[in-house]
Amino acid sequence: MTTSLITPADPAAPQSPGGAKLRRPDSRGLPVSARDALSITGVWALLIIATTIVRPDFLSTQSLLAVTFTMSISGILAVSQAIIVISGGLLDLSLPVSLILSAWATVTALNNGLPTAVAIPIGIVTGMAWGGLNGLIVVFGKLNPIIVTLATGFGGLAVMLIFFKSAQIPSTSELRLYGLGRFLGLPNIFWPMLIVIVLGGLAFAYTRWGRRLIAVGGNPSAAKARGINLRRMRFASFIGAGAVAGLAGVMFSAVTPSFTPAAGASFQLIVIGAVILAGISLSGGKGNLLVLVLSVGFLATIPTSIAFFGLAPAWALVFQGALLIIAVGIDGYRLKRTAR
Amino acid sequence: MTHFTRGRLARLGLVAVAAASLMLAGCSTVGSTSGASTDSATDSTFTVGFAVGGQPDADWQDLQGEVAKGLAEQRGWNFVELSNDNSEATATKNADIFIQKGVNMVMMFNGQPSANPVIAKKYADAGIPVVTFDIAQPGWYFVGVDNATAGTDGGTALGNLAKSKWNCQVDLVISAEGTAAGQINTWRTGNARDAVKKVCPNIPEANYVSYEADGNLTTSLANAPGVFAAHPDAKNILVVGLNDQAVVGALQAATQLGRDGSIMGWGQDGGLITGANVDPHLAGSVMYFLEGYPAEAFKIADEIAAGKAPAVKDTGTDPAASVQPCPVTAAQAAAIPNINDRVSQLAAAPQGTTEYDLFCKA
Repeated sequence: MTTSLITPADPAAPQSPGGAKLRRPDSRGLPVSARDALSITGVWALLIIATTIVRPDFLSTQSLLAVTFTMSISGILAVSQAIIVISGGLLDLSLPVSLILSAWATVTALNNGLPTAVAIPIGIVTGMAWGGLNGLIVVFGKLNPIIVTLATGFGGLAVMLIFFKSAQIPSTSELRLYGLGRFLGLPNIFWPMLIVIVLGGLAFAYTRWGRRLIAVGGNPSAAKARGINLRRMRFASFIGAGAVAGLAGVMFSAVTPSFTPAAGASFQLIVIGAVILAGISLSGGKGNLLVLVLSVGFLATIPTSIAFFGLAPAWALVFQGALLIIAVGIDGYRLKRTAR
Repeated sequence: MTHFTRGRLARLGLVAVAAASLMLAGCSTVGSTSGASTDSATDSTFTVGFAVGGQPDADWQDLQGEVAKGLAEQRGWNFVELSNDNSEATATKNADIFIQKGVNMVMMFNGQPSANPVIAKKYADAGIPVVTFDIAQPGWYFVGVDNATAGTDGGTALGNLAKSKWNCQVDLVISAEGTAAGQINTWRTGNARDAVKKVCPNIPEANYVSYEADGNLTTSLANAPGVFAAHPDAKNILVVGLNDQAVVGALQAATQLGRDGSIMGWGQDGGLITGANVDPHLAGSVMYFLEGYPAEAFKIADEIAAGKAPAVKDTGTDPAASVQPCPVTAAQAAAIPNINDRVSQLAAAPQGTTEYDLFCKA
């Protein structure tokens, strides 16, 4: 049995202003999440420096646009995945379905003449409904979340294939124009991601809901002993994660003029990779969303760097896959060390 | 029963409902095997067995069945249609059904080629000739689009546009690859690049770059920004790719990075060149009219029915029949009827007509 470094019974557990509670300092006196942040920042800086040495023009607004655009949808989805993982729900493998289902609902609403202000909530509520379905099966059926979401992922894809072959957002809709625009020099869709990460981080650190979610994920027995309703919290985490995935779907529909039901599949690896690389433990109860944004940024930089190096783009997947394995290994090592 | 609490029963019920829902969802994608138009082929009338692919996201596969049915009726032949349901097991079972029904030949699209050797053995033992679409199998007549010509046609059209608009002053030629497609990718993107080089021979080799688009817009849109960022000074940009999705992904990335001032793309397959939301920078595409494959297959069937079976040509490089690709500009594509109307017009056309004859020659 593994134990979390954060327990809900420990009201003195340190908190990070940007995310979930900071974990116990390591042997060098650094909180674990700060160490994670430093590690990722260091590796990210190395990647940027190496690319800049080879191609000095890497440090440009074009690169910044490329990276921020690439990380926008992935970043929102990573927050959704992080909510599930931190709450002890292991992983949600049906996130690509949640993304596309929400995007499809948004686009369908727009194509039926509904205003943008209505279409966006429809997309978000669709994501919540999908999360609710997963939560219902996982929490009340007491089934393994990975198996359940794997199954609902397949089933959801199949159902979507019945209802639509491809979806197209109206080219003159406000949402589409928003997706093509920029604010403060960066893609419009980058800012909702940043807002979601900041709000999510604050919610984990400063709200009762966030702290209870961490408690449920980190040490369910202790959380239950303190009167927290585990089922309700886990069900709420699926719905909350679904809402965030729904927002990702709305943003996805804004930047993707045409998409098919299977279009979300390519996000799976980068989202899971970002979450694990950020030190959000698969055992639950641990994680920091500020580290997550660094992780997403680092992974989003890899394809751009590879283009500057002139390498075949398939190398991006090789690097991301390798990093994922390393991150999982580090997570496992930490758990073993904690258990000792 | 006393061991079961109400909560456990409720949980059991929930799990059962969820499992049933998933099973229904799964089953509904498989679809139902289409009923045979002819129950048996006991008479001497020539009988064609047709197995549609049954992939859920491909309308054209079902329409291939409709086209084939119309062509069989046109000839007064019996017609047996089944769906492979995108499944190896179903495709194999369908072979047994066709043999049992005594068909004279089979036409099929099977998206799971690993089952083809087993199916081929069954048909070979029964002495039934087979026409396969797009996926080659030794011993079967191969019918597919001429991908090599499609790539060359697309590249030539785009090169000509670059010549007329920019006097071949091209700073970047981006190739949105789908390496998993293997030789097809090489034919479509490689030949397109070669064709651009032929029309505009002075474009430096360093101006040709490739990236992985994986044949879909999402991946293309995720990977293309880096390519544009890595070539910040490129003004006049051309994009070729495995298909329309890959090309449009690059064009959209250019828009996101503010690099769409002077860019043109030419797609493949015609997937995104029609409709209300065609990307303004997608200058054209190469249409294949996938639903019209049976028109080529029935030319082979005519010879077999006449007792003059042609020699089997079973590879993509030496096909029994090639579906001629149709390069169209965005304006020309807008004038081509939608897929259902095309099927109707093909059914009403004289015997031997192809969709290329109907919609491209003009």
